[in-house]
Amino acid sequence: MTRDELLKVVEAVLEKAEAPDVVATLTENRDAAVRFGQNRITQNMDTFERKLRITLGDGERKIVYSTHRIDIDAVPEILDNAMDILKTASPDPEYMPPVSAGQVYPVVDAWDSKTAEADPAGRTEAAARAINTAKKNGMEAAGLVGMSYENTAIGTSTGNLACSRSTDAYMRLTLDRGKPSSFRLLSAEAWDDLPVDSAIEEVALEVEADENQRELEPGEYRLIFEPQASGDLIPYIAWSMNARPADEGLTVFSGRQDELVTGNNFTMTSEVNGVLKGTPFSGEGLASGDAVWIDQGRLVNQPCTRYWAAKTGREPLFIPGTLAVDGDSGSIGDLISSTPGRALLFRRFWYIRFVDQKELSLTGMTRDGVFLVEDGKIVHPVEDFRWNWKPLDLFSRIEKLGTSERKGQLSVPPMVIGPTAL
Amino acid sequence: MIDEMRDQTEQIVGQLKFRGVDYGDARVETTDLESLTYRKQRLAESDFQATHGIGIRVLVKGCWGFASCSGFDSDLVSKTVDRAVSIARAGAGVMDGSVRLSEEVPSIGHYDGPCERNPFEIPRSEKLDLLARAADIMHASKLINMSWSRLRFERKRRVFGNTEGSLVSSDLVFSMPDIMAYAVLNDDMQSRSFQEGARIAGWEWIEKTDMILWAEKCREEAIMKVKAPESPSGVMDLVMDGTHLSLTMHESVGHPTESDRVLGWEASMAGRTFLHIDDQEKLKYGSEIVNFVADNTMPYGVASWGWDDDGVPGQKWYTIKDGIFQQFGSVRETALLVNRKHSTGCCRAMNFASFPINRQPNFYLEPGKEPITPDDLISDVNRGIYIEGRGSFSIDQRRINFQFGGDMFWEIKNGKKVQPLKKVIYRSKTRDFWGSCDGIADDRSFKTMGLLTCGKGEPMQSARMTHGASTSRFRNIEVGRGAE
Repeated sequence: MTRDELLKVVEAVLEKAEAPDVVATLTENRDAAVRFGQNRITQNMDTFERKLRITLGDGERKIVYSTHRIDIDAVPEILDNAMDILKTASPDPEYMPPVSAGQVYPVVDAWDSKTAEADPAGRTEAAARAINTAKKNGMEAAGLVGMSYENTAIGTSTGNLACSRSTDAYMRLTLDRGKPSSFRLLSAEAWDDLPVDSAIEEVALEVEADENQRELEPGEYRLIFEPQASGDLIPYIAWSMNARPADEGLTVFSGRQDELVTGNNFTMTSEVNGVLKGTPFSGEGLASGDAVWIDQGRLVNQPCTRYWAAKTGREPLFIPGTLAVDGDSGSIGDLISSTPGRALLFRRFWYIRFVDQKELSLTGMTRDGVFLVEDGKIVHPVEDFRWNWKPLDLFSRIEKLGTSERKGQLSVPPMVIGPTAL
Repeated sequence: MIDEMRDQTEQIVGQLKFRGVDYGDARVETTDLESLTYRKQRLAESDFQATHGIGIRVLVKGCWGFASCSGFDSDLVSKTVDRAVSIARAGAGVMDGSVRLSEEVPSIGHYDGPCERNPFEIPRSEKLDLLARAADIMHASKLINMSWSRLRFERKRRVFGNTEGSLVSSDLVFSMPDIMAYAVLNDDMQSRSFQEGARIAGWEWIEKTDMILWAEKCREEAIMKVKAPESPSGVMDLVMDGTHLSLTMHESVGHPTESDRVLGWEASMAGRTFLHIDDQEKLKYGSEIVNFVADNTMPYGVASWGWDDDGVPGQKWYTIKDGIFQQFGSVRETALLVNRKHSTGCCRAMNFASFPINRQPNFYLEPGKEPITPDDLISDVNRGIYIEGRGSFSIDQRRINFQFGGDMFWEIKNGKKVQPLKKVIYRSKTRDFWGSCDGIADDRSFKTMGLLTCGKGEPMQSARMTHGASTSRFRNIEVGRGAE
């Protein structure tokens, strides 16, 4: 649907709804991808969805109703269904009306027409190139390559009306030869910006370097995280950061607003229209904005709902879909070569789970490459092992940061963590 | 409604035949969802969905093409057929296709999941009253700083048809109660929750679970936990109830025995398995008393859909018999590749918009045949821990090295439960762990967990399955506390 067609449906909902408080969102998304494994294409797909989400409120009660029925003529019937449900809801002591009028939504430049209109050939051929490289090197290729787009229109009964659209091109690639393996995540708004061929070649070389793994010897090591490894830990901090659970004593950030929670060389922000492209509005139509969450180690802001913000005298804040950790200069190679003594280099982590949410302690496994580094040189690969760490503790002991790289909706640097007992 | 959906499925299959594809199938689905959530003593979310759509899968020269659309608009459906066919043809133009489906007898029929009282016909006031009462009970203590009380109901009507003549439909109602209390004391927070999850059942499942009783139990045991000493460390014996073992078996038996993992199709995401194709009917997986039964016919199991998304009927088989690994769960595409003639019927998609993949079936640890109670198992433990419910969980991508927590813990000394504990973590390796099982209670202590959110695949799909076990004992397991 065109932007105008999307808005027309949203406006029809706002116009015909009998409830005083209404938020309507119409989202159209398409995701087309090729999945491969065992050096064969296992899935080749193109999915398309349009969904209408209506929030109705009467000043005391609120409900959310979603449907795949997208038809202006059907709007009265859809609203009747939603109204019937609203009448049966319980009063909400934390009821909030829709966001106030006059929201100023940022312009987010996240659309690439060529990517949105791409036919299956490009992604199928990219998968074939990964498979052929794997075969040539006696390896197996597995992964996913594709592109998607999303068009969203939102309107509120308080007078806000907005649209956003974005494209996403991505490749997740694993090459392995039994135990030796490597992995790469590529993402960009435009398919043409994905360095598919160079990534395939690099990953194949990394698999070669992962041959002849040895068991980890217990001891003390510096930890060198590639950007993917750093990025694998970041979401767990973000998920623990909400203001209300912290105020209620449920998280590691309880009572720590404006305190140092990491070392002073760790800064975590969100951006809406920088290297990373976020969403211009929240699900309830609140305008998004850039935000600093941890500033040089200090917890300066926490995501906060509108209700809790009003109750506690804060500004409502939400993560607009992106997180960025400030880096410094230097590649992962520079970090390795400048690391003294004994260290371990990590490519990525796997199956990370909270062990204790209040402590923000995590467990997980290493995956797709761990290497012993001695006096700035890679010595040999190490077998995967389980770890139990507290990321705030790790990020309190960062000795060096490299240049940040995009990993999905994260921008994260490689980093060196001080000596850690393993 | 099902009749109209069957007609539509037949029309799409007719189009696929007309296009001359080598194989084609269509899934037509509608889903109604009602989800009510209390956060503390307040109705925080009332979410209702009425969704529907179509997924079409075709084979051309051994290459898949899959396309889906939401809605039943006929123009959109025709375009979706076009897209599925053109994707398959594009794939066939780039690579030699290798897909070969096992031969299965086409199925025709309809399956209604068990549902005595349709939850969508229960007055909403009754549901909200139940949630409010549960929340009030949990917050009767000031130590309970946070709670969740939820009811989730889903009615899924699905029709599958293919160009080989299958045309099957099912009408399934999923009901899930959920209760969780958080106690906060002295800068610590501990939680306790209801653990049996969802069933294919109606309101009768909500009544049977007794959320009010569970609200009291969660309140009291969360408080017990937050006041409890932390876990001891060392090697000791563990006695575990069925709701705990349901997750341990899911991760260390269910996933390793999926056929797509042994073939490497999940190598980039969910991972591989330590098993090899030749391990079937040979490899010692656990002690001789360990028998795992896969069963996609168990009436309330959330993977019992009548037929899977290949149109293959639900089946029952041994995954592990007398401690020996028997066979992988498979789909039509993988069965021949793992040396089986037929699929075990494990092909399921998250919804119409997802490409169906190899998923875990319902499966359970067979109860012991001797009359043994949990107390009998505990009585033969000098130093150990009794664990109920699931907590933290993590396992490596080959499904060998794992670490689990739990939801409630009791220290065992000299054959008796002596005190509650918190922050218990145990670590083991899959075959060592199941090899250390030396006692399984009889079916009087059998409990199940219906899981709705097993993540796998790319793009990520969540799937549902039910697991179960009687209380069982494991010897000499490494135990520690949280981040050690």
